[in-house]
Amino acid sequence: MEAILQYVLTGLSVGSVYAMIALGFYVMWSAAKAVNFTYGDVFMLGGVLTVVLVEMGLPLLLAGGGALAIAALAGAVIERVFVRPFNREANAIGWMLTTIAVGIMLESFTTITYGPLGRPLQTPFVEQPIRIGGSGIYPQELILPVALVIVTFALEGFYRRTVLGRAMRAVAFNRVAAGLVGIDADRITLLAFALAGAIGALAGFLIAPVIQASSSMGVVVGLKGFMVAIIAGIANARGVVIVGVVYGVMEKMIEGYLSTAARDAIGFTIMILALLIFPQGLFGRREVQKV
Amino acid sequence: MKSLQNPPFPRRRAGLLGAGLLAGLALIGLGAPAQAQRAEPCIGASWELTGPLAHTGLQIRYAVETAIDEINAAGGVLGQRLRLVAYDDQGEPARAVDNARRIGERDNCIVMMGGFRTPNAIALREPLDEMGLPWMGVISAGTQVIEHPNGRNKWMFRVSMKDRWVAPFLVEAARARSRNGRIGLVFEGTGWGQGAVPDVTNAMRAAGLTLAGQETYNIADQDMSAQLIRLREANVDTIILYGVDREATNLVRSMDRLGYKPQIVSAWGVGVQFAQTAGPLAEGVIVAGTFTWMGQLSERAQGVLQRIQAKFPQVRGAQDLLLPSGTANAYDATYIIAETMKLAGRIDREAFRQALYRVNYQGIVTNYTPAFVANQERHDAIKPEAYRLLAFHNGQLVAIDQTPYAQPRR
Repeated sequence: MEAILQYVLTGLSVGSVYAMIALGFYVMWSAAKAVNFTYGDVFMLGGVLTVVLVEMGLPLLLAGGGALAIAALAGAVIERVFVRPFNREANAIGWMLTTIAVGIMLESFTTITYGPLGRPLQTPFVEQPIRIGGSGIYPQELILPVALVIVTFALEGFYRRTVLGRAMRAVAFNRVAAGLVGIDADRITLLAFALAGAIGALAGFLIAPVIQASSSMGVVVGLKGFMVAIIAGIANARGVVIVGVVYGVMEKMIEGYLSTAARDAIGFTIMILALLIFPQGLFGRREVQKV
Repeated sequence: MKSLQNPPFPRRRAGLLGAGLLAGLALIGLGAPAQAQRAEPCIGASWELTGPLAHTGLQIRYAVETAIDEINAAGGVLGQRLRLVAYDDQGEPARAVDNARRIGERDNCIVMMGGFRTPNAIALREPLDEMGLPWMGVISAGTQVIEHPNGRNKWMFRVSMKDRWVAPFLVEAARARSRNGRIGLVFEGTGWGQGAVPDVTNAMRAAGLTLAGQETYNIADQDMSAQLIRLREANVDTIILYGVDREATNLVRSMDRLGYKPQIVSAWGVGVQFAQTAGPLAEGVIVAGTFTWMGQLSERAQGVLQRIQAKFPQVRGAQDLLLPSGTANAYDATYIIAETMKLAGRIDREAFRQALYRVNYQGIVTNYTPAFVANQERHDAIKPEAYRLLAFHNGQLVAIDQTPYAQPRR
């Protein structure tokens, strides 16, 4: 029982990170029908920049806010320079290559300047775990699911109750029609990538105290976040959140009861099977086109 | 006369034959660098200088450049200045092989020095044999780097630890510290980690013990709760660890979550950075190594540290020598190379190789008398007797006898 509780607790924490990354992919896809494959590195910026700013003397929260702002700016720049020019044609895929290339450059640059090793990010919430019998969790890890819920509802509210959010939904629904009613679709897309950048960096900022901030911290997380988004159905916000959390818990159960070494192989296999059965994603809807 | 009467064709043929012979000799001459008897007074190096392992190349470079400066300040080698020609292999075996070719054929260095990764060193076996180029490892501890499967290692030498010798050393340290004799093994899922499993299993068997648990994890794993829960259920109170700083930090964090505190006895993948990332959780973790720059140092070692700091201002102190054993091994290896060249009396690879079996040197790690013996098992200069137990105490990695963890906990 202690073991199950442990797997659920750590699974919730890890799954919340996957869900936040997947949520970022959802935001970008909704606006541009393209994503930023450097997103794992934007997640990394959240942790690494916070450490750098703290080392420069900024208080933790200010440093975290600064990191989020820079990551949002990075998201916007990536959209403007590396996605938009390569996503003009229908079915264009040039943005895949450019964003992957930028991701490699970003990680290399961080390795050169920040160093290849992880650095600690001290917060009061990783000093003492909360123990329940033989299980335990750091308060910092509990912040992650809470932050996920807040971000999800905030995003929902933003999309439904603000002019900007409604404009984003309009662009997501029909980019041309949105343009005809006066919405600057390019500007909205730019803002969506910036928003996604901030969400990714928030996940990096929150998990860094637990796992150390390093230049390579986003590689696997970015990949799994994207996989979660695809499996869930990338156009469904609630779906990506649910699948992200479930995948995190499932990973821990696989580690606990099947194999730690084969965790990713088993997890990916299950996801591929799920995609075979639900090609539109678990929460996706089949797109209907008039012909 | 006849021959004089009909000279044109035979002469032409003789001329062609001569030209062919000359061309053949020239071709042999072109191939000569591979078999060169004369070489340059340079140490060619293939290190991880960029990429995720860039810090490892830097840690070796600190020591080698400092030692070369000292050697040249004392008159160099055989009247010539010793040089370093360093290439980056980014931790990739194919690049290491390319670099070996450059070092052996273009730069014609007397010796090549290796870097961090065992797979890079293993990839060099055949190229080094072909070129007749001596190689000196300073970190890569894989047994098969030196003990080749064909039993005929001629050119590869090492001033470092050897995994096959490390395993019994770790098992003995773990046995002495386990209260209930329940020892577990945790290893990273890499060639190094997986390669340690048979070594540790054999060493345990030789000690009359069996592993109470065996767990692995993937590189970049952030949580090892599942593995630790299984080890806890198996009553393991001492863990032998084959991992590096980042994952070791995540391991002790997972232990902290569970409130499970077995004694960790680690191979030398855990370095100084662990103290910074794990903080108080690093306290009491024991590591096998050959040297540490922290704690009380000999006067000579203190001098070396000061000269490294003077040459490389980014090294603020011992806390910036992240791979303390590797840096010290590299320092000794550079001096062993210089002393061997002097003993050989000429800059010649075969003479150098023969002299390696005769060279004696008092290093900062150990006393090498002689450094090497002419069988491949003893192409390792640092014998197990020179291995040391180090321990993290108050944020520093120091010799275990300078900590409260010197006595086995009984």
